[in-house]
Amino acid sequence: MAASNAAATRRKKRNGKPFSKLFVAIHVLIVLLPISVIAVWACADRWQWPLLLPEEFSMRGIEEVLFSSNGQGLAVMGQSIAIAFAVAVLTTIVAAMAARAICNYTWVGRNAYSFLLVVPFLIPTTVFAMGVQVLFIHAGIARTVFGVILAHSICALPYAVTIMIDVTRAAGTRLEDAARTLGAGPLRSFVSTTLPALMPGILSSISMSYILSFSQYFLTLLIGGGAVRTFATVMFPYLSGGDRTIAAAYGISFILATFVVFLIFEWLLRRFGLGKRTDLYG
Amino acid sequence: MLKIPRKTRRAIAPYALALPGAVLLFIFFYGVINGVFQGFGIMPFLGRIEFTLDYYIEAFTRSDLSSSIVYSLYLSAVSAVLAIIGGVAISAVMTRARTSRLTRLVNIQIPIMTMHSLVALAVICLFTGSGLFPRLLYHLGIVSDPNTFVSVVGASSGWGIILVYLWKEIPFVAFCTVTIMANISDSLGEAAATLGANPLKTFFTVTLPLCKGAIVKAFLIVFTFAFGSYEVPFLLGPTLPKAMPVLAYIEFQDPDIINRCYAMALNGIMVLICSLFALVYFIVLQRERKGRM
Amino acid sequence: MHLTFDHISLALSGKTILDDISFEVADGEFVSILGESGAGKSTTLKVVAGLIPQDEGSVLFDGQPVDDLPTHKRSCAIVFQDIRLFPNMNVQDNVAFPLKMQGVAKAERLRVAQEMLEAVKLPDMGTRRVHELSGGQQQRVALARALAGHPRAILLDEPFSGLDEQLREEMRSLVLSLHERFGMTSLMVTHDPDEALTMSDRIVYVSEGKLIQEGTPADLLLRPRNQLVASCFGDTSAIEGAVAEEVFRVGKLEVPAPEVADGPAVLVRVQGSVPFVHSLEAPAAALPASEEGR
Repeated sequence: MAASNAAATRRKKRNGKPFSKLFVAIHVLIVLLPISVIAVWACADRWQWPLLLPEEFSMRGIEEVLFSSNGQGLAVMGQSIAIAFAVAVLTTIVAAMAARAICNYTWVGRNAYSFLLVVPFLIPTTVFAMGVQVLFIHAGIARTVFGVILAHSICALPYAVTIMIDVTRAAGTRLEDAARTLGAGPLRSFVSTTLPALMPGILSSISMSYILSFSQYFLTLLIGGGAVRTFATVMFPYLSGGDRTIAAAYGISFILATFVVFLIFEWLLRRFGLGKRTDLYG
Repeated sequence: MLKIPRKTRRAIAPYALALPGAVLLFIFFYGVINGVFQGFGIMPFLGRIEFTLDYYIEAFTRSDLSSSIVYSLYLSAVSAVLAIIGGVAISAVMTRARTSRLTRLVNIQIPIMTMHSLVALAVICLFTGSGLFPRLLYHLGIVSDPNTFVSVVGASSGWGIILVYLWKEIPFVAFCTVTIMANISDSLGEAAATLGANPLKTFFTVTLPLCKGAIVKAFLIVFTFAFGSYEVPFLLGPTLPKAMPVLAYIEFQDPDIINRCYAMALNGIMVLICSLFALVYFIVLQRERKGRM
Repeated sequence: MHLTFDHISLALSGKTILDDISFEVADGEFVSILGESGAGKSTTLKVVAGLIPQDEGSVLFDGQPVDDLPTHKRSCAIVFQDIRLFPNMNVQDNVAFPLKMQGVAKAERLRVAQEMLEAVKLPDMGTRRVHELSGGQQQRVALARALAGHPRAILLDEPFSGLDEQLREEMRSLVLSLHERFGMTSLMVTHDPDEALTMSDRIVYVSEGKLIQEGTPADLLLRPRNQLVASCFGDTSAIEGAVAEEVFRVGKLEVPAPEVADGPAVLVRVQGSVPFVHSLEAPAAALPASEEGR
C-alpha cells in the first residue's frame, strides 16, 4: 500500500509541478472569464444592479443577430466567412511561394526581400489603411469584395510568411531532390514529398490568416466603405453602446464562428496524422 | 515552344516565386508612403504638390496632438512590457507543467482567436459602474451604488485598454516562445539540471538567453499593435487625451481636407517611431544570424 | 560514490520500459549497460540522474535513497549522445557552468575550466564559440564540462555514436585515461559490444527492460548466460590486443590465453563456438594446411 502510494506520488511529480499547474489553471480561468461573461450577457434579458445573475433569459439577442438585423444577419456571416477563406488561401499561397524563394534559392535581393516581408508587422494597420484608401478608390477596387480581400491579405502576409519560412526551412529539399533522382517530375516530387512536410505550416498559416481577416475591423471599414459588410463591421457599432444583449450576442456568435473553423483545422491536422505530439518524453 | 535553358530557369525561379509577395508588399509600401507624403501636404490627386513641414510641426505643438503621442506611447510601452513578462512566465510554467494539448487550446488559442473589441466589450461588462465586478464588491459591502465605482471606460490611466491588450497579447507572446522553450527544456534544460543548475538558474542562464530573438520579435509586434490599433482605445479610451490612431481617424474623416494632412502627419510620426523599432529589430536579427553561423 | 539501482520498474505511457532492474556500481568503477537500442538503456541513466522518476524501486547513492532529490541536487553529470553544449556560451563558459552553479568565484572557475580543457586536449579552444568546433571537439568539451563540477558520478549516454570510427577510438582511450586520472564512478550506455568489452570493469546486459546478465567483460564473453548475450558477441569480428603471461589483454578486457606466446595477438570470435586467442607472431607454418590452397 505504502509502496503504491509512493509510486502514485512519483507519477504525479512526473506530470508536473504543483506551482506551475496552479499558475496555468489561474490563467485558464482569466481566459475563460470574459468569454463566459459575454455568453451570459448574450442570453440575458433583464439584469438589474446589483444582481450577480440575470433575472430573465431570452434568445432575443441571438435571434436579432442571425435573422432580423436588416434581415441579413446570416448573409453577412456567410460573406465574412467567404472573405476570410479567400484571404487565407491567397495569403498562404503567396507566403508559401515567398518562403520557397527565400529558403531554397540564393539570389540577389533575398535578404532585403525577407526583411521587407516582415515590415508590415512593424507598421500599424491603421496607418496603412488611411494611406492606401485613396489608392484603392482610384484603382476602382475600394468598396469591392476584391479590394477588401487584397487589403486583408497584405496585413496577414507577415504572419503567414513567418510560419511558412519555419516549415519550409525545416522541410528542406532533401526529400524532393531524392524523389527527382528517382525519376519524379518537379511538380510530382513537390506534391509527394515536400507538400506533406509543409502541411502543418500550411494549415496553421491558413487558420492564422483566416482569424486575422475575420476579425479585421478598421481596414474593412475604410476599404469596404460600408458597401462590403462583414461581421466585424456590423457588430462594432453595437459594442460602443446601446443594447448590451445584442452586442454580446454578436460577440458570442463571432467567437463560435471562429472557434468552429479553428476546430475544423485542428481536426484536419489530426486526420492527416500531422498533429505534433507533445506527449511526455515523446 | 521556346525552350528556356535549365540554368536560366533556375536563376529566374526565385524571382518568379517572390513576385506575388512583392506585389502585395508594393501595395503596402505605396499606401504607407503615400500617407506619409500627404502629411507633408503633397496630394497629387488634388493638385497639391508643394512640400511643407507645417502639419508635422503642428502635430508636436498642438497640445491635443502632442499629448496623444505621449499617451499612445505610454499605453503601448506598458502593454508590451507587461505582456512580455506575463507571456514569458506563462510559457515557462506551461513548459514546466507539461500542459496538455487541451490546455494550450484554451489559454493560447482562444485569446489569439478572440477579437480585441470583444475583449473590450467583456471589460465593459465587468468593470463599468454597473458591471459585474462592482456588483461583486457591493455584495462584499465595499461599494454601495453604481456611481461610487470608478468606471473603466474613459479612465485616463487607460488600465482598461492595457487590460484588454494583456489578455490578448500575453498568450500571443507565449505562443511565440512556448515551442522554443519546450525544445530547450527537453535537451539543454536536462543537461543544465544534471550539471547542478536548479530550474530558476536554468531559466535565467540558458532558456532566457536562447529565447531572446523570439522575445524581441514578440515585443515589437505587440508594441506596434498596441501603438497603432484603433478599436480598443476607441471603445475604452478617455475623451482626452485620445490615442493617436483614434485622433488620426477623427482628423481623417473631417470633411476639411487640411485635417487629413494632420491625420497623415500623425500617421507619419507613428511610422517614424515604428521604423526606429524596425531598425533595432533588423540589427538584432543580423546579430542573431551572425551568432548562428 | 557507490551507486545502487534497487528493483527499479518504470512504465511510460502504458509501456514497460524498465522491469525490476537491480545492479550496483562500486565507487570508482566503470560499468557499461549494454543492449540493443530500445532496451531501456538511456532511460536507466535518466532515472539515475533523476530526470525521470521511477514507478517502483529505489536509487541509492552510498546507501542513501535519493528518490526525492531533484536532478540538480544529485550531482550526476550526463554526457549526452547529442552533446547538448549551451550555444549561448563560449567553450570555457560551458565547461565552467557546473562550477558557476556551485557558486565558485569567476577566476577559480576559469582556472578549473582551463585545466579541464587541457585534460581533454583542447587547451586553446576556451574562447571559441561552440558551433565553431567539430563534432569530436564538441564531445570532448562536453566531457570536460561534465568533469568540471567534480560530480559524484558521470553518466555517459552512447557518447561516441555520433563520431566516426577513428575519433571513436581516440575518445575511448581519452575517457579511459580520464577515468583513471579522476577515478569517478562511471556508468556508460552503449550498444557496441567491443566498446563495452574493452572499456568496462563490469557489464550489465539488458534486453526489453530486463536485466539479462551482469559480470566482467570476460564473464559475458566466455560464459554468456543465454543465446541473446552469446549472439550479441557472436559476430565474427576479431579484437586485436596482446598476450602477456598467458593472459590476453586489450583495454580492460582480460581473457585467459593458455599456451599462447607473449606478444601481439588477436581474440577471434566465431558464431557458435567459444572465442579463442590466436598469436599474431605464430610462425606461418603453424597455419592449418587447408589455408594453403587459397
